[in-house]
Amino acid sequence: MRYYRRCANFAAAAALFIMSSGANALFESRDTRLKAIKTVGIISAIGDLFSFARGGLTGPDNQPRRIAISVWGLDDLVVQEATAALNGRFQVQPVTYQRSAFAAITESPLAPVNLFRSDPFKKLVQTEISPQGLDAYIVITKAKANFGGSNRKLEGVGLITFNAVMESYSELYALYEIRVVDGKTFDIIEKMAAAPVDNTAVVRLAGPSRLLDESFAIGTTDAPDENLHHAVADLIARSLPITLGYMHLIAAP
Amino acid sequence: MTVSLSALGAMVCMSHNASAQTAFTLPAPPYELPFLPPVSGSWTVMIGANGGYTPDFEGAEHGTFGAAPIFSIQRPGSADQFHSPRDSASIALIDFGDLRAGPVGKYVSARDQGSHPELNGLGDVKPAIELGGFIEYFPVEWFRVRNETREGFGGHQGVVSDFSADFIVPVTRAITVSAGPRFTWESTKATDPYFSINTVQAMASGLPVFDANGGAHSAGAGAQLKYRINPQWEVHSYVEYDRLLGDAAKSPLVAMRGSVNQTTVGIGASYSFDFKIR
Repeated sequence: MRYYRRCANFAAAAALFIMSSGANALFESRDTRLKAIKTVGIISAIGDLFSFARGGLTGPDNQPRRIAISVWGLDDLVVQEATAALNGRFQVQPVTYQRSAFAAITESPLAPVNLFRSDPFKKLVQTEISPQGLDAYIVITKAKANFGGSNRKLEGVGLITFNAVMESYSELYALYEIRVVDGKTFDIIEKMAAAPVDNTAVVRLAGPSRLLDESFAIGTTDAPDENLHHAVADLIARSLPITLGYMHLIAAP
Repeated sequence: MTVSLSALGAMVCMSHNASAQTAFTLPAPPYELPFLPPVSGSWTVMIGANGGYTPDFEGAEHGTFGAAPIFSIQRPGSADQFHSPRDSASIALIDFGDLRAGPVGKYVSARDQGSHPELNGLGDVKPAIELGGFIEYFPVEWFRVRNETREGFGGHQGVVSDFSADFIVPVTRAITVSAGPRFTWESTKATDPYFSINTVQAMASGLPVFDANGGAHSAGAGAQLKYRINPQWEVHSYVEYDRLLGDAAKSPLVAMRGSVNQTTVGIGASYSFDFKIR
């Protein structure tokens, strides 16, 4: 009898905990939290470097070649496109931030470290963005995706040329992820990697990408190529509304 | 029972991935748990079947055909990392790209003496769960070396260490061929339950008494072919050949009633489609 009474007490305490505001917050849906957001700031840090990588049948020294593409103004484009998409629903306010600090964050190769450490962007939103006090900050940063069967990882913006025995092909990619960070608590309300823009390619990448046909001229110098610039801008412009829609930040396109 | 690589080429095979049109859109879930990633967005579902011919038991001369379903759900474009048919289920907790490591697990089914006449009198061996770790390294993108070392619980309490190397050759963007050598080392406790014959078993089975010790257990090779026909359909086939070594090969069960040649052949096909969750 005493056992059952103890169980009943425990159940009552658990019910009280669940009904309390703290526990309610624990089970609060993302949509509820997104509905409460009125003012947002947008941060983008994906467009500093462009990688030229080779995959498939390659030699042992296969590090990607990277060139600076700050002159493309990709981050300005991202902020501009995101502002245009979000402005109907949110009041988007200009923010200043240290772009390099956001671009420098990388995941640990040790999965448990990523699992148990706090999201490093929470701290940056607290310390590197001005003004503080907006309801939320939309943080857009580089993402990684595996390519091919060999655990090859691609990151950010770039081009990979894949060499097979009987053919080779080039794939352009713009891999990024979007976080919605609560402006008061700095919790990550939502996080999602940008999705592929279409689904008709035999070889797909887990992010915005497109195959380049042979007619696509690519510069051979270290200078940023304007054709690539326009193709990357197009990938971002097409994928951003899709991803924001999946995150319920705008109506699904 | 050796299956040559030419037979592999002749096999019609099928399996997995990609996709074309979004098949359907589901409404947003009424509730989401905040500590789990959002489910909204695109997903790729893969369904299919694998058929295979495997030895009846380790050391058997004959085999049986079996089938298993293929099913997975993942985000679109999630790369199909190279996976050999010999790889056990594993999670990479350490992932440097070219170097990965983490825990691994394998289920070894029971050996029932009633299922096969060659085993009469030897008694049953319970199923075993093998748990351990794996490490794999890609010195170049087209070559992988891997080791799995596992300790058994249940049917055996020994240690099994599998070594493999695979040359992974992309022929076109749709066709990949891989092949390489295999080697397995087992401790005495892992070998004994399957290959030793004690006095009681000898009297019941008619086989001579034999005390199997550990050591080099098997060596062989494997090959795999994958063909992604289009964004929806993929087919695959594989063959794995092992020759038993050491006391496993010398065991009367193998020498008198079985074979040192162990071949596994598989074929599969899968279909992929995308769907969305709002």
